Amino acid sequence: MDPQLVEVTQIFARFKAALVRKDFDHCKKLLSQLKVLLTRFPSLPPTFEKTPNAVQELLIAREIYEHAVVLSVKTENQDAFERDFFQLKPFYTDTCGLIPPSPEEYPILGLNLLRLLVQNRISEFHRELELLPAAALENPCIRHAVELEQSFMEGAYNRVLSARQTVQPETYVYFMDLLAKTVRDEIAGCSEKAYDSLSVADAKKIMMFSSDQELSTYIDEEHPEWEIKNGFVYFQKAKEAQPWKEIPSMQLINQTLSYARELERIV
Amino acid sequence: MAVVSSASGLLAMLNEDHPALKLHALHKLNSLVNLFWPEISSIVQKIESLYEDEKFEQRQLAALVVSKVFYYLGELDLSLSYALGADPLFDVTEDSDFAHTLLAKALDEYAILKSRNSKTGEQGEEIDPRLEAMVEKMLDKCISDGKYQQAMGIAVECRRLDKLEKAITTSGNVNGALSYCINLSHSFVYHRVYRCKILSLLVKIYQGLSSPDYINICQCLMFLNEPYTVATTLETLLRSGNKDDDLLAFQIAFDLVENEHQAFLLNVRNRLLYTASLSGKSIGVTSVENTAATVNSMRTHDALMSESSNVPNGPLDPNEVAYYLKLEKIKGILSGETSIQLTLQFLYSHNRSDLLILKSIKQSVEMRNSVCHSATICANAIMHAGTTVDTFLRENLEWLSRATNWAKFSATAGLGVIHKGHLKQGRALMAPYLPQTGAAGGGSPYSEGGALYALGLIHANHGEGIKQFLRESLQNTGSEVIQHGACLGLGLAALGTADEEIYEEVKNVLYTDSAVAGEAAGISMGLLMVGNASDRASEMLAYAHDTQHEKIIRGLALGIALTVYGREEEADTLIEQLTRDQDPILRYGGMYALALAYSGTANNKAIHQLLHFAVSDVSDDVRRTAVLALGFVLYSEPEQTPRIVSLLSESYNPHVRYGAALAIGISCAGTGLSEAISLLEPLTSDVVDFVRQGALIAMAMVMIQTNESCDHRMGTFRRQLEKIIQDKHEDTMSKMGAILASGILDAGGRNVTIRLLSKSRHDKITAVVGLAVFSQFWYWYPLLYFISLSFSPTAFIGLNYDLKVPRFEFVSNAKPSLFEYPRPTTPPASTLAAKLPTAVLSTSAKAKARAKKEAEQRASAEKSSAEDVSASSSSGKGPRASERDSESVQAGNAPEKKAEPEPSFELLTNPARVVPAQEKHIRFLEGSRYVPVKLAPSGFVLLKDLQPEEAEVLALTDAPSNVSPANAGSGNNPAQQGLGTSAMAVDEEPQPPQPFEFSA
Repeated sequence: MDPQLVEVTQIFARFKAALVRKDFDHCKKLLSQLKVLLTRFPSLPPTFEKTPNAVQELLIAREIYEHAVVLSVKTENQDAFERDFFQLKPFYTDTCGLIPPSPEEYPILGLNLLRLLVQNRISEFHRELELLPAAALENPCIRHAVELEQSFMEGAYNRVLSARQTVQPETYVYFMDLLAKTVRDEIAGCSEKAYDSLSVADAKKIMMFSSDQELSTYIDEEHPEWEIKNGFVYFQKAKEAQPWKEIPSMQLINQTLSYARELERIV
Repeated sequence: MAVVSSASGLLAMLNEDHPALKLHALHKLNSLVNLFWPEISSIVQKIESLYEDEKFEQRQLAALVVSKVFYYLGELDLSLSYALGADPLFDVTEDSDFAHTLLAKALDEYAILKSRNSKTGEQGEEIDPRLEAMVEKMLDKCISDGKYQQAMGIAVECRRLDKLEKAITTSGNVNGALSYCINLSHSFVYHRVYRCKILSLLVKIYQGLSSPDYINICQCLMFLNEPYTVATTLETLLRSGNKDDDLLAFQIAFDLVENEHQAFLLNVRNRLLYTASLSGKSIGVTSVENTAATVNSMRTHDALMSESSNVPNGPLDPNEVAYYLKLEKIKGILSGETSIQLTLQFLYSHNRSDLLILKSIKQSVEMRNSVCHSATICANAIMHAGTTVDTFLRENLEWLSRATNWAKFSATAGLGVIHKGHLKQGRALMAPYLPQTGAAGGGSPYSEGGALYALGLIHANHGEGIKQFLRESLQNTGSEVIQHGACLGLGLAALGTADEEIYEEVKNVLYTDSAVAGEAAGISMGLLMVGNASDRASEMLAYAHDTQHEKIIRGLALGIALTVYGREEEADTLIEQLTRDQDPILRYGGMYALALAYSGTANNKAIHQLLHFAVSDVSDDVRRTAVLALGFVLYSEPEQTPRIVSLLSESYNPHVRYGAALAIGISCAGTGLSEAISLLEPLTSDVVDFVRQGALIAMAMVMIQTNESCDHRMGTFRRQLEKIIQDKHEDTMSKMGAILASGILDAGGRNVTIRLLSKSRHDKITAVVGLAVFSQFWYWYPLLYFISLSFSPTAFIGLNYDLKVPRFEFVSNAKPSLFEYPRPTTPPASTLAAKLPTAVLSTSAKAKARAKKEAEQRASAEKSSAEDVSASSSSGKGPRASERDSESVQAGNAPEKKAEPEPSFELLTNPARVVPAQEKHIRFLEGSRYVPVKLAPSGFVLLKDLQPEEAEVLALTDAPSNVSPANAGSGNNPAQQGLGTSAMAVDEEPQPPQPFEFSA
């Protein structure tokens, strides 16, 4: 066996052990080592060179990245998730025929969809969805994400929140927690458009806060332009009047005059 | 084989913390950027920040990736700046679109920067050294790949003379490279100073060669205005004692003369004489020698010594004697006398003008219409320009005497055109009309003024001999008509000499503030100062502001314009001043200034300005002139003009249309360019009379020397002219245009064309100035005659060592009919037309047409047979006899003769008419006795004699005296006759015709 491959396998074993131990710092270090080592494999995307070890290399690389994604969820690091997921993705999309599909593929894709939902990147969500084959939609992980998105769009926020309880893989928990926040932001955005003001009690209820205190901290952090006065939340300031559109008369006059001049010059 | 479907993985990898991963991602991205640039472009900032990160090792790689992305995005400026950042990684040799595009961009950028720097002087903006390095790499690559022309082009564009030199010297074919560069510098380098720099570099390289191409060196030196170097070159050649070198020296001299730079030639000549006298041994120039001796005390002793040793007139150093003789010859050539004389002989002997055309014009023009009358006289003058054939005038003395006042002035001036170049006898010829000293009131002032003007035309640009006389005439007269003539004459004779004394005298005339004399004085001052850009211009401008007379202002405006001739950027201040003036006449002068300062440069800025004025000025005169001026700016690229003025030629404003017509006429003159003709054709039937006039004249200028087999529209045009002239209801203006057009079509006995560029693509100053003043005829008909300055003979004249014309044959590889003289109009048609002048009924028109057709048939049949006969017996019978012979012979078998295929080549005999379009078909025969020194298809060419021991047979030996006017007048060609019969000495000047006087 190729010495490099051996080295990678060894370090990866240690990484997995550390992951089980939940020694995340050590994991990160090892992962970084692994990634550097992986760059030396010519068979990996984007080059896909046909080396004798190509299949093993691809398999182990995919597994490493899958673990990296899981690690990022565990460390609750969305950036790292995105990074690792994108590096993993070519293994799913472009290696058909080279290596067998991974059992982890759909859970991880579902996880990514969930992430997009949490980050409220709906367009990207749909883009990802469209890239999936129709059969994949039957997969529970994917279907879960799709259903969540539908409820989210319909405004059936309660269904979104209740879905949290029915979560299957443990890795999903992190994102489901975050989803509550996203839902609240949506609601806040809608209320702002829909009402001039709301009573604090109503606002609290709508946005699912348990106390006035929570509400005011939220307002301070996310919507400093809102105003709490006499037990009402005013959205007025946010809807600042559109600037008065002035007719650019001087410009128009100049333009017309220059047209006239040009017309005279026509030879 | 799997391929990656997205670059997102790599892009994500860029966000990793470990530098090795970033590096890996960059490497991969670099190779994939052509596929995934849209994806990469969204995070290009990220890569940019990598480039800006000083600590990142592979900054250049990042820069390269960014550069590629920007390239695909079409942001070439950014792309280039990042490519420069990627410096060592950007591979100039890479064969990809990216590399090619960026290199082109880099070169453009560099060239722009360089030219801007050279304009602003030293303290220009700094050029990025990396950019410079890239361009240099590129240049070196071109040179090492053997793409020398490309390298030279880039080097010229980028103002890298060092690289240019390298490219030229390393290229295998140095001479070829040099001539390529000369071409480049003339056609693509618009900046005058820079062009001079290139040329001086070329000269330097030329001189470094083991066998320098002296002809080209001298052409360059001429542009650089270095007469002394030219003189030394000529001297070395003459002194080498080798006959070939002597021939080369003569050839150079002829080539220089062709460029018509009088002041330059004068300098060369003086320098040659001066050095000759310094050597102190030449015989016959003792007077010069003495002055030289006193000037140079160091050599006085020397000179005296040698003089004393030579004075006994005994054993002179034979080398020196030979040198002196050669010097005399070259002096003659440089003074232009030799070429003028030879041209005169050629034009006289080959004169093929068709007097019948003139006759029919004369008959159809109404007597009382003085405009058409003088137009006819002018047409005659143009037709016979330089041929000395004044038969038509002699035969119609009574008719001629109808010209009165200014028409008389013009008619007399016309004689000058006919006798143009008749330097030796010019004054004798004009004597009857010239003002007589002492005998006051002898002749009419109009004919006297005209005669002075005629003298100027005869001596145009070669007025050494006549200047004094003209000055005296100017001083001795008080009549403004004579002053007018004398001023024009002086201006012409002393063209471009910047003679201060003459200038002062002409200025005095101007200050008399007489409208007629002042106008001529203004033009004359300009002519004197052509291309000198002195402060005289501001003096003239000041007076133009002072005076009340429009005529004077107009004369001065043109004069000012003439002073900036060819000065390009140097003239910008003056042009600005003129074009911003309140007075439309001065703005009009500004247009001329633009035209002349940028003449033949096709300078974009000038074209822009002119187009702007053409559409925006309030004065019609200015607009007309602005369009017309385009013709001057563009004459070096005639193909461009029709495209540029095509819109203007459809203008609603007739003045603009007129200008467009003349612009084409000027810039495409003598080219027979098809697009030009197509553009002019509709204008010849314009609704406005003066537009028709301009279009007809322009058409004639374009079509000069083309015949019907070259362009079928030629025949249509001739018929159109005929129709206009004969049409009773046609406007006088267009009639005049038609008459002049028929004159121009057959100018100079059908042996001249209008040429504004010499063969070395140097602008011919006289010709350009001539056309510029000619275009003033709008205001003043006598200025029509200035067109004669732009005529240059289309001839191949081979000369032997003695500057005689030996018999020499060469081949024109084209059907003879393509370039032959147009057929003479046939007498039956014209007599018929003359008999039925009043009512032209449809029946008679039919009959006429029938007769004409018949005549044409006969003529063509006659022609083909005549050719056969003359080919077999070139010197046997006179053409008349042979014609009659053949006529009787072929009466029966004409169709058979016609069916005979035309030969695909033609043997021409020195001196021969070679029209410009024919030049590319000219070949020299192998194994003939003479070999040309320079492989030029036309012009004066020195021939090397390979069999010097044999006696030479000389051609061109006929003198005008032995052809009776009656013979010449009968419409026959005297040339062939002369060629066969007489064998007199070649250098004999054609005898002046008997003086005659038409003034009643």
